[in-house]
Amino acid sequence: MNASTATATSPLRPPGSAWPSRAPLLLLLAVALAVPLFVRSATYLHILILLLLYAYLTTSWNLVGGFAGVLPLGHAAFVGIGAYTSTVLSLQYGVSPWVGMIVGGFLSTLVGVLIGLPTFKMRGAYFALATIAFAEGLRVMVENIDRLGPFLLNGPRGLQIPPLELGFGRFMFAEKEPYYYIILAMLVLAVGITWAVSRSKLGYCLAAGGEEPEAAQSLGINVARVKLVAMAISSFLTSLAGTFWAQFTLYIHPKSVMSLDISFEIAFIALIGGRGSIAGPLLGALLLRPVSDFSRIHFGDTLPGLHLVIFGGVLILVMLYQPRGLQEPLTRLYRRALARSAGMRERG
Amino acid sequence: MKSYRILAVSALCCGLLLWAAAEAPAQAVVKVGNILPLSGPSASVGLQNKQAQDMAVQEINDAGGIKSLGGAKIQMLYADSESKPEKGVAEAERFINTEKVHILTGAWNSAVSYPVSAVAERYQIPFLVPVSVADKITEQGFKYVFRIAAKDSWWTRDQFAFLKDLQAEFNTKISTLAFVYENGDWGKGFAEGWKKHAQAGGYKVVLDEPYPSTATDLSPVVQKIKRANPDVLLLTSNAADAILLTNTMAEYKVKPKAIIASGGGHADPSYLKAAGKNARYLFDIVEWETDVNKPGAKETNEKFKKLYGYNLTGESVDAYAAMYVLADALERAASTDPKAIRDALAKTRLTKGPAMIVGYDAIEFDESGQNKHAALVMVQVNDLGKGLERITVWPKASRRAGYKPVFPIP
Amino acid sequence: MIYLLEDAINGILMGSIYGLAALGLTLIFGVLKVINFAHGSLLMVGMYAAYWAVLLTGAHPYLALVIVLPLMFAFGYLLQAVVIQPIFKAEREVREPITVIIVTTGVWYILDNLGLLVFGPQYRNIQDNPLRGKMIEAGEMLISVPKLWGFCAALVTAALVWLFLQKTRMGRAVRATSLDRDAASLQGINPYRIYNIAFGLGTAVAGVAGVALVPFYNVFPTVGVLFDIKCFIIVVLGGLGSIGGALLGGMIIGVIESVGPQFMTATWTEAIVYGLFLGFLFLRPSGLFGVKYDW
Repeated sequence: MNASTATATSPLRPPGSAWPSRAPLLLLLAVALAVPLFVRSATYLHILILLLLYAYLTTSWNLVGGFAGVLPLGHAAFVGIGAYTSTVLSLQYGVSPWVGMIVGGFLSTLVGVLIGLPTFKMRGAYFALATIAFAEGLRVMVENIDRLGPFLLNGPRGLQIPPLELGFGRFMFAEKEPYYYIILAMLVLAVGITWAVSRSKLGYCLAAGGEEPEAAQSLGINVARVKLVAMAISSFLTSLAGTFWAQFTLYIHPKSVMSLDISFEIAFIALIGGRGSIAGPLLGALLLRPVSDFSRIHFGDTLPGLHLVIFGGVLILVMLYQPRGLQEPLTRLYRRALARSAGMRERG
Repeated sequence: MKSYRILAVSALCCGLLLWAAAEAPAQAVVKVGNILPLSGPSASVGLQNKQAQDMAVQEINDAGGIKSLGGAKIQMLYADSESKPEKGVAEAERFINTEKVHILTGAWNSAVSYPVSAVAERYQIPFLVPVSVADKITEQGFKYVFRIAAKDSWWTRDQFAFLKDLQAEFNTKISTLAFVYENGDWGKGFAEGWKKHAQAGGYKVVLDEPYPSTATDLSPVVQKIKRANPDVLLLTSNAADAILLTNTMAEYKVKPKAIIASGGGHADPSYLKAAGKNARYLFDIVEWETDVNKPGAKETNEKFKKLYGYNLTGESVDAYAAMYVLADALERAASTDPKAIRDALAKTRLTKGPAMIVGYDAIEFDESGQNKHAALVMVQVNDLGKGLERITVWPKASRRAGYKPVFPIP
Repeated sequence: MIYLLEDAINGILMGSIYGLAALGLTLIFGVLKVINFAHGSLLMVGMYAAYWAVLLTGAHPYLALVIVLPLMFAFGYLLQAVVIQPIFKAEREVREPITVIIVTTGVWYILDNLGLLVFGPQYRNIQDNPLRGKMIEAGEMLISVPKLWGFCAALVTAALVWLFLQKTRMGRAVRATSLDRDAASLQGINPYRIYNIAFGLGTAVAGVAGVALVPFYNVFPTVGVLFDIKCFIIVVLGGLGSIGGALLGGMIIGVIESVGPQFMTATWTEAIVYGLFLGFLFLRPSGLFGVKYDW
């Protein structure tokens, strides 16, 4: 399969010059960088940090869930591994969470590849269920283990990070701004990696393998290996978010950092935004996180549960009207606006 | 056409954002931010806490609010944590930064209370915890955390004290114990205490069994209890599993000499309804019971029952009393400055007023913010001809007049 | 030995009820090729329907089927026709549309939380019903009567569903659609109508499971979540789309959950179940009775 056909079939490479498709992303980045200058309220910064965290998680997930054409529903396992690795290392051995973050990343990569080896042979429903079972199984294990060799995991009770030493080296801050910029930097990194992957040979092979595995195979692409590479990158990146999560909330337990809810929310965001595209996870997070946060804030006290009804309703509505996610129509809208302005310039 | 739909959805979101931003300005009120699990698996207890607090705040406001603040009213704000730590933290941040609450309260789940206590400490906003029993909450060296309920090491201590008194009173020797508890923060904390006390008391532990509280079938656990054949069974359960365990034990005719539960699910109002006569003779440790011999307790419970249709529980009384502790502190602080409220809370010595329906005589916090007088009572579930009720049996001074506990279970 | 036997019997009885719950899921998957994440919520709806039917009429729990079955069938039929079908139509060319999974998850959130809004968070169960707490004493062994009823209900339901699929015209149309949607529609079968019927049938079976659980289990808004993952595991174990597989898979899980705790704490059996599930996925992804072509 050559590059041009991949471009035609793959949603991740919109045709046309690179600049206009990158412009909105750059604009978004500029806005994101400036946000803390205007948003002084820690409440909104907190909500925005969670938004970016989920955008980051979904972008990382997208490498497998979007480009490789499968539906992983167990990425919470990697969040958990990252959170636990860095927290255990920093609590028990005084290792900086930044180092723990990288260690956790490699550990997740190892686990991700091990789990990918057999599961990537499966398709559709089986793959989704296998990843759920893997993540839930891991959660149950952690809940049953108080001490793993020399490491104290504390079972279902989780680990608390005392906010004693603040500072960059300890990955702990009194203010929200540092967290905001760290997760933003991580997001930019993840988007950059996704962008690089999507333009590389790996990206083409992934897209080909995801859409027509048999055809790709017959063209000599080792689909399973390509997917494994994607899984390795994806689990590494996802794991970093686990460390961020732990340092941001300062308390982790299996039911929070390894819960199925995380895995599901990531998938929701990706599908609502449009999976397999670079902007999809960002758009999805921009839509879904506010819906979930503000509906909880406004109905959580008087009509408990209504916020999740609304959340479910939004999911269904978007899927009904935009089964490929919001990214597609928005890109079209943007293109049309661009074409119109270009046309006007020519005429003018 | 489709792009319009996108626009509509985005407009909806913007609307939500704006709505959130356009909050009414602060008035002459004291704002209390309350984080509770109002949806999700612990929604039932969250609602009980909320209703008790609503009633207390209504009473305080109807009685003229906080007089030293010119009759300022207490305004309760509620937020749903869904039992998730990260949502609890987000709501605490919002309460403090956007709603500008003067005090925080909640969060029932210990797993939510930990991180919220750290947030409160950072912003120096007092965090009044009615119920989250994990020891750790007041043992972090924080200055802004205050807890009304007894901590879990006191619960287990009193359970074993009761066990000792029970043997003396009935002249029956208890030698073997079985521990069965939900595999969570709460159950594990209790089990740790139990093990310590069992060792100190020379009891033999024949079963130490955590179980997942999401289990759909507990008969395997019940079979294990039956085969271990303990003299006394100690339980820590949430509501759904408490009901399931009790019913299954009745089916399998498991009858140890006594069953001692740890409040929580066993104290949930739906427990007695759903377990029915199978719950008879169960001992349960709680902080408060409807038959407590305190002036006003009966009236308060009747008022609550009329409003919401069920009896006050130990947990909801803590929540109720917490509001009066707060009102008292505000009265003395004569300020809504969180620091002043914190200092007033630390100097609390509440001995009268509606909060004194609690089972002890004063509410006072120690250095760590723990209510040092918090005391516990044991109740027994029995039917004295008026349907099942919970009857206080221990300490003896609080025992309902004329009632003799049933032990061993016939 | 007698202990093991007693536990195994309990496991088989309880497991058959899991199997019954999973049967609806496997039916829906077999035809629509989609995992219905709202299945636990459908079970919850079935349990509330059975609870109210028994409470208001005071009848024998299984008589509630007269009300619950048609109600649940209609509910499932409408749910598929109104909410899920449009997506199938939009993604006609995709064999296993992932968007449908997301939509069923949306349905799950909505149903569970509507349950909370409408019925409140309380735990309910029926005090006075002729099955509650009944046990058969066979020597030293105790066997739960309501679970035995559930076991029979599971067998009868599975047999009826099998007969329906094998012997009726409609059943053959369902099977044809399940095998090859396009070929079936060439034969004049309207696949969307078949989807509605399959979904209605699956929901009705979840209703039967609800009726089987109500005599001894609690009813509350999030009860479905407890059974959700269990059902997924069972259907994969038995083979997605296989009726007998669902029952057998359920019984295997039931026996592990019942016998396992005699050798370890109950919390570890959960991990064993997941391990077994993953092992099956790796070594025999078609499950016990699944058909190979499907993966």
